[in-house]
Amino acid sequence: MMKSIPKLIRRFTAILLLSLVLLFALNVLLLATYTFNQLPNAYPWKTAEEVAVDLFSKQQPYKLSEKIALELEQSDAWAILIDSATMQVVWQTENLPETIPRTYSISDIAGLTRGYIDGYPTFTGEAKEGLVVLGYPKDRFWKHIWPSWDYQFIASLPKTALTVFGMNLVLIFLIYMIANSRLLKSVKPILAGIQSLPANEPVYVPERGVLSELAVNINKTSEVLQTQSRQLRKRENARANWIAGVSHDIRTPLSMIMGYAGQLEEEPYLTEADRKKAAVIVKQSERMKNLINDLNLASKLEYNMQPVRLKRENMVAVVRQVIVDFMNMDLDDRYPIIWETKETCTSCMIRVDKELIRRAVGNLIWNCINHNEQGCHIYVWVMTENGKCVVIVADNGAGATGEQMDRLNHSPHYMVCDENTTVQRHGLGLLIVRQIIAAHKGEVVIRRSEEYGGFEVRLSVPMEPPVNPAAN
Amino acid sequence: MDVTYLKEKRLLLVDDEQALLDMVVSILKAEGFQNIAVAKNSRDALALADRFLPELAILDVMLPDGDGFSLLEQLKQKREYPVLFLTACGEEEEKFKGFGLGADDYIVKPFLPRELIFRVLAILRRSYKEENPLVKLQNSEIDFERAQVRRDGETIALTAKEYEILSALYRNAGRIVTIDALCEAAWGENPYGYENSLMAHIRRIREKIEKNPSRPVSLLTVKGLGYKLLVEGK
Repeated sequence: MMKSIPKLIRRFTAILLLSLVLLFALNVLLLATYTFNQLPNAYPWKTAEEVAVDLFSKQQPYKLSEKIALELEQSDAWAILIDSATMQVVWQTENLPETIPRTYSISDIAGLTRGYIDGYPTFTGEAKEGLVVLGYPKDRFWKHIWPSWDYQFIASLPKTALTVFGMNLVLIFLIYMIANSRLLKSVKPILAGIQSLPANEPVYVPERGVLSELAVNINKTSEVLQTQSRQLRKRENARANWIAGVSHDIRTPLSMIMGYAGQLEEEPYLTEADRKKAAVIVKQSERMKNLINDLNLASKLEYNMQPVRLKRENMVAVVRQVIVDFMNMDLDDRYPIIWETKETCTSCMIRVDKELIRRAVGNLIWNCINHNEQGCHIYVWVMTENGKCVVIVADNGAGATGEQMDRLNHSPHYMVCDENTTVQRHGLGLLIVRQIIAAHKGEVVIRRSEEYGGFEVRLSVPMEPPVNPAAN
Repeated sequence: MDVTYLKEKRLLLVDDEQALLDMVVSILKAEGFQNIAVAKNSRDALALADRFLPELAILDVMLPDGDGFSLLEQLKQKREYPVLFLTACGEEEEKFKGFGLGADDYIVKPFLPRELIFRVLAILRRSYKEENPLVKLQNSEIDFERAQVRRDGETIALTAKEYEILSALYRNAGRIVTIDALCEAAWGENPYGYENSLMAHIRRIREKIEKNPSRPVSLLTVKGLGYKLLVEGK
């Protein structure tokens, strides 16, 4: 997330430079247009020249052509002709204001050329025998009286202009940078806050600066998320506790059923048929017991309430104990368990929760038994493969169709499925196996056994926890 | 094997549920246990323990006046004898707590009668073994007190490791004991890598207890998994 800040700065800089270039171009364009529009303002001098030429185009008396006269009239200008010899006004237009003098000195001429007569902006045109002076209304023109610059100034004008432009640029850039870094600074905690939101961590962004409103909203969002996850957690805990409570309460009555049925099963005074009935009760209560245990463990694993105590164990020994426990249970001969681990594989040291792994392997063996009423051989072996410890439980029983396998591998269990479900997809046994192996960051693959033709479940758990390369 | 002497042991049974008490008593009596006293709460149990002097206590974890763990501590303060927990709490933590306090075993309800009997006998045998110095096998006798085997009138001494291995097998007589459990019994913590030594010791034990060591009838191999000791009368 923080990587985006240099990117942002680059982007801002690019936008800034682009806008400066555009601004410059716009100014040049505007100036050019405006100057072009101002060009006609040079006309009073031209008109004065025209009047001078026009006046002498004919012989005496001086008379303006109609066109020029009309032009003067329209601009509300007056004109006089000052004779070079006498310095007297020898011709004038009719609208000449009273206050205009009729005689001029040389300094008057210099003054009126540069500036005004009695506040009227004046323009001169050179004639044969004198000087034509045009006067315009006082508010018509502004005249620059000292039109001279230092030569060096004019000579270095391009350089000066560039320097000024450059300084402007730097100033704008600085303003821009300061403004943006302020913005970025206030964006930073907000970015960090947004980043922590998906991790469901409690977030508090200081609520000040230009983006304080955003910060307030992020804080509110975090609070809402926290409340929600607290509630969810509470509900999950309640559910797991409820399941634990129910299974606890069922255990005692089930003990009675199992205990007495177990006694009846071995009662010599009963008939063979009655003992068989008792055996069925025992078997079914055993199923119920497994179901209760499974339900309890599955709900705890699902809601992360089951502690996973990882310890270095020999997987071969752990699995061996499970098999032996089954063998010692005196199951009938229909389910022989065959230990297929190679003799060379005597140990596979791995960090696991022994009890949970026992449960997983035990569940797989029960699975073979429960799905093969007519009996089957069960094959179990442990091996190491590509840095993983692999436990395989297979049988030569009925197996499952490809479609069933697919469902087992992919569809969620009814317990963790949020759709309404009326069909129980499969027992809890495999769900627990999945949960346990997931808690060990391992993998479960269910498939048809190539070797034995039945069902095969392969558990693989990485031997060493994945090392974070950044930690080295 | 002769376990009659074990069935004369005094058993104290504590559970708040009368029906369960009745059932456990009936299971134990059917098995031949005669000296059984029952209590429904901690207070009665403590009072009873003073007079009855139990040799094994079977306790429920949840009792109306306190839990079984504290009862266990109180009972053990007075006298030392084995304790078996019988509980509806299947939680792992509970199990660890029980073992931490010195419980000898832990049975989660529901249970089968034969499971209860097996565990009770196993604990009793472990705790009161000195009363049974002779274990009869098909072709020999093991005298655990003297660490000897008697066969055809001959007396053969057992080495320390052989003794440990045979004891572990005998405690689970008739049941398979894994290679790992046997190695642990003989070599203690971190028993991995002793499989070959174990095989050598088993061979030597067979030479002592079997008539024909290459065709054993008492100490059987379960390939790849472990060994099983068959005891006469079992």
